[in-house]
Amino acid sequence: MATDRKAEVTWHSDLMSGSGRIDSVTSGAFGGLDVSWPARTEEPGGKTSPEELIAAAHASCFSMAFSHGLAQEGHAPEELKTSATVTFQPGEGITKIALEVVGRVPGMDEGTFKQAAEGAKESCPVSKALASVPEITLSARLEG
Amino acid sequence: MPRVQREASVTWEGNVARGSGSISAASGAFESLPYSLATRIDRPDGKTSPEELLAAAHAACYAMSLANELASSGKEPEHLDVRATVTLDEVEGGSHRIVASELLARARVNELDGPALQRAAEAASEGCTLSALVAASAQVNVQATLEGGTNGD
Repeated sequence: MATDRKAEVTWHSDLMSGSGRIDSVTSGAFGGLDVSWPARTEEPGGKTSPEELIAAAHASCFSMAFSHGLAQEGHAPEELKTSATVTFQPGEGITKIALEVVGRVPGMDEGTFKQAAEGAKESCPVSKALASVPEITLSARLEG
Repeated sequence: MPRVQREASVTWEGNVARGSGSISAASGAFESLPYSLATRIDRPDGKTSPEELLAAAHAACYAMSLANELASSGKEPEHLDVRATVTLDEVEGGSHRIVASELLARARVNELDGPALQRAAEAASEGCTLSALVAASAQVNVQATLEGGTNGD
């Protein structure tokens, strides 16, 4: 079954001096988020950007796939804390995504944990959609 | 221009079927957005998902790129409406793939004709970093129309 998720953006004027807004999304979970070129490429000043949204998409997708992979090894995680950092080079594009995860998984050994993390990095749908990003790195660590 | 870094963080608890997570942006623009498998692949019930965040990223990225294309050809847009729809589908073997991102743009631009808008709309997709990335593994379609009558075709 296919699932569609939609987002709507309005933009006024040119790139450098204009501004936009993410008005609404299918779920209604967020809306009215302002975006601009200066906030995207300089200090964010509380504004989101395409790169930050990609970071959120990737971190959330990876975490879900990782929890699935760990459960398949017989150890559902108590908690996974994941961050994604997206590097954007204006004029060139997105050059790197760095994923970092710290997990609390009872009964799990470090080697299996790292292996499952690599698997999730390869298999999650957002990773596959962004597979042509030049560099995607992963650091995975067990807590405690 | 120096490189830019943007970060988001997620906390996930439990297994994939019954667990849930929470998504926050380093800028502070959004915080603790809940998500789960059921609301990702079925009815959203007010919860966002990786694909919805990707749709928001794509719409915002494309809107900026189209504004730039139009302005650099001397046709500064008054107003652009951009809608991105990202489709997640089950593929052979039962795994999920992002198969498409559909862009729909409506533009209000003085003294611009349909063919010029189409050229700008195509160039904008090539110029949007996310379009280029997603197009390597999924379908990226762009449709653009002029607001106020003249169809973009």
